[in-house]
Amino acid sequence: MAVSTVYTTQSFHSTCSISTPSKTHLGFNQKKQILFYNSCGKSTFMRRLTSVFGGAAEPPKGGNPDSNTLISDTTTVICLDDYHSLDRTGRKEKGVTALDPRANDFDLMYEQVKAMKEGKAVDKPIYNHVTGLLDPPELIKPPKILVIEGLHPMFDQRVRDLLDFSIYLDISNEVKFAWKIQRDMAERGHSLESIKASIEARKPDFEAYIDPQKQYADAVIEVLPTQLIPGDNEGKILRVRLIMKEGVKYFNPVYLFDEGSTISWIPCGRKLTCSYPGIKFTYGPESYFGHEVSVLEMDGQFDRLDELIYVESHLSNLSTKFYGEVTQQMLKHSEFPGSNNGTGLFQTIVGLKIRDLYEQITASKAAAPLQATKA
Amino acid sequence: MATLTGMNISSPRLAARPLRSSSPQPQSLGFPRLSRRTPLRTRLVAAAAPEQIEEKVAESIKEAEETCSENPVSGECAAAWDEVEELSAAASHARDRKKESDPLESFCKDNPETDECRTYDN
Repeated sequence: MAVSTVYTTQSFHSTCSISTPSKTHLGFNQKKQILFYNSCGKSTFMRRLTSVFGGAAEPPKGGNPDSNTLISDTTTVICLDDYHSLDRTGRKEKGVTALDPRANDFDLMYEQVKAMKEGKAVDKPIYNHVTGLLDPPELIKPPKILVIEGLHPMFDQRVRDLLDFSIYLDISNEVKFAWKIQRDMAERGHSLESIKASIEARKPDFEAYIDPQKQYADAVIEVLPTQLIPGDNEGKILRVRLIMKEGVKYFNPVYLFDEGSTISWIPCGRKLTCSYPGIKFTYGPESYFGHEVSVLEMDGQFDRLDELIYVESHLSNLSTKFYGEVTQQMLKHSEFPGSNNGTGLFQTIVGLKIRDLYEQITASKAAAPLQATKA
Repeated sequence: MATLTGMNISSPRLAARPLRSSSPQPQSLGFPRLSRRTPLRTRLVAAAAPEQIEEKVAESIKEAEETCSENPVSGECAAAWDEVEELSAAASHARDRKKESDPLESFCKDNPETDECRTYDN
């Protein structure tokens, strides 16, 4: 049985609803596991990914309404918060945050992920984010593609080794702060000070346990403030970097113009008119935690459809099945946050890369038994 | 005259609607698309959760501020703010779910040609 797992983590001190400025995570039993930090199934990235695979992802029907799981035809997304060993009260008593490994049962996480990878169904606990309690378990049947998202997808080595692909969403402090303000300022009780205090209090655990996971990821989406507007602190225009590890099996990094070279590209000019502050792309080889990587970077915003298709036509190795697929996927979800900048673009591209990876793995597993019989 | 009588009957209902919005009732005006017959049960659930969570968020912030004033570098302080974060995220999700919870809207997004989903521009 071939199993592939993809993990991505989104280093985000909040559920994926924050990642959006407007509102603010195999027949051959191949499984891909993607991890997001604390976004738990409802993240924009997850929705884009499941959309690439086709079909809508829904919570399990007839089960716990507060379940964090999402199920579509091919994909099941589980939230790693379900493996909390301490519920909210327990964490309060012990004085640990959810970021702390002591609040999570890695043995159970490894057991169940391994079981699902091997094609067995599991009774997975449910962490209820509304009540803060651990609810009775739900039955999860092994899917073709398993995505695990949450705080610690790559923390435990055994779990890490089960993954076929991993992604980490790395939001810089300034952007994180700006997004949390957008999310929380509407909330009665919150003030700028409380938002700041919350981020600061969690920073030590975040830097000790969560952030280091990014070195293990096959792809990192880094979100930073723009460099196109000097002194900008609104966080509306974003500079997004897609860091892709070289040498990962079945994963061919996206490139611009000439693979392996260093490119700086401003598409706006005579053929394409953009409004301020425009769009700037860079591409080139870099080193990331001692690994060779290729980095594709987009700074700025898309205003119009034709900008998007123009950019798509100049990128290579996108793993699209037809010309304009990236644009089509972006348009399909134009109401999602990040649809006009690099976050949406790179999440969509990563989704296509994962699809490609999945198909290659499936094909290679199909070929293997044939070769065995030939020999 | 008949029209005036009709208006007299309907306007008290229209005036009363804003008062009743806090405890949602199924609305039926008989106009296609304007009437949203959503099951009472789901409406109530959608409205209740955000208020409860909002309360929880506000409480947790107060608690965190108290805990941290005693000892700003303790695990308890971090855990308290972590709870604030978790509840803020849950509140944000609840707000989003509330926005997208209209069954008629989601049905019409997929089936705009059906009778229930016809819209009139003029």
